[in-house]
Amino acid sequence: MFRQHFDLPLGEDGSGRFVPWIVAVMVYLATLSVAAGMAVNRSVDKWDIGLEGTVTVEIAASNAAAENAGERMARALSLLRETAGVRSAIPIPDDEISRLLEPWLGQGDVPLTLPIPQLIDVRLEAGTKLDLDALGTLLANAVPGARLDDHQYWTERLSDFGRSVQITSAFIVALVALAGAGTVVFATRAGLAIHREVIELMHLVGSRDSYIAGQFQAHAMSLSLRGGVVGLALGAATLGVLRGIAAPIEGSLLPTVNITAGAWAVLAALPLLAGLIATITARVTVVRALREMP
Amino acid sequence: MGYSADDEVLRGINFHLRTGSFHFLTGPSGAGKTSLLRLMYLAHRASGGVVRIFNRDIAKTRRSVLPGLRRRIGVVFQDFRLLDHLSARDNVALTLRIGRVREDTIRDHVTELLDWVGLGDHLDAKPPTLSDGEKQRVAIARAVIGRPNLLVADEPTGSVDEYQGVRIMRLFEELNRIGTTVVIATHDRRLISQFNYPVMELDHGTFDITGNN
Repeated sequence: MFRQHFDLPLGEDGSGRFVPWIVAVMVYLATLSVAAGMAVNRSVDKWDIGLEGTVTVEIAASNAAAENAGERMARALSLLRETAGVRSAIPIPDDEISRLLEPWLGQGDVPLTLPIPQLIDVRLEAGTKLDLDALGTLLANAVPGARLDDHQYWTERLSDFGRSVQITSAFIVALVALAGAGTVVFATRAGLAIHREVIELMHLVGSRDSYIAGQFQAHAMSLSLRGGVVGLALGAATLGVLRGIAAPIEGSLLPTVNITAGAWAVLAALPLLAGLIATITARVTVVRALREMP
Repeated sequence: MGYSADDEVLRGINFHLRTGSFHFLTGPSGAGKTSLLRLMYLAHRASGGVVRIFNRDIAKTRRSVLPGLRRRIGVVFQDFRLLDHLSARDNVALTLRIGRVREDTIRDHVTELLDWVGLGDHLDAKPPTLSDGEKQRVAIARAVIGRPNLLVADEPTGSVDEYQGVRIMRLFEELNRIGTTVVIATHDRRLISQFNYPVMELDHGTFDITGNN
């Protein structure tokens, strides 16, 4: 079907021998970088989705005798449950609050020694446009010390973090692509110098620049694809090992190393991308050099 | 024509080759025969003067047009310039492949021509394994396989015996008969006298054409 006839002995000189290995390293780094970016993004999405449609009401502890904690909780619950768009409002039990604080305060009778706020887990009706600012103000006026937390600060920071990881990942891939292109330029120039006489002859018998460039670009693509496949295989193996190491601590906040079918498709495109970059780079390098010939 | 501002190789040369003509080009070594041939097969553009080939002023012709013109010119180089990594068959096929001719057509034509020049049993031989005479015949086959409009040969019989030399000249005559303009550069006065064609004589600054042009 597709058979490339090489008039230039590009496979016989040493100019391109190192290209597959360098491309393999480049694609390996790109694979890890892209996989890390996707894993972090998936975790951010997961946390974001977990927080979507929920708000937390915090009722600060008060030492004022007139203020009964139970009354304030009841007033807050009543107000919340009467608000249109609120699906449920459930107080978080003290032992659950203690458990949440354990990583910072340690085990023990925390509520007895510290003024721990009361918390209400509020679930909103899906698709409801509830004015959370107004609800917060209403709560604060009705229940002294009550504050509504819509997690916006947390989700914004998560989103910023996800975006930063994405940008860093793209930057690494761009650097890798640039270094790969540089390698191909170097190898192609070496090939042009080694085969100068053959190229001159091909010119004299009527070869177009594109015909000669076609041979260089096919060679560069072949070398890069081979290197790319090796790099991808090594990257996949590394991800497999990392997944094995991360498995016992799954369920924590760590990003999961599971690669979805879509993610595999993205990673599988990396060797193709390497081949495409090599092809274009080789063509541009050769055509520029040949323009110097009569 | 010159290779640098103060290194003029050819000067005061003015001639016109009729389409379908046959000429010898002769002169002592260093007289500029090879430089003149290089202008004719478009390896160089002249630094001055006008070179018109196939009704085109080469100095004013765009670079992208030159490959098409070069494919209409067959060249036999004095040093053969065969590609050592390719077989005799692929060396001869080179010009056709560059011209995007179908592979089955290439195979048939190349085999037939190599057979004709006596290399039918050397199709897959690489140039380093061939004698000078055999290399020269491969180079000639490569030059004529595309039935060029202009054939330029630099000492094409220099490395073959008299019998092969005459056969090669007959091949050039065959091509000439079907309309190819032929220019043969040679030192060999005996060869020139054997064939009754006009002779362009280049001798350090002088240029003459003798015989029927």
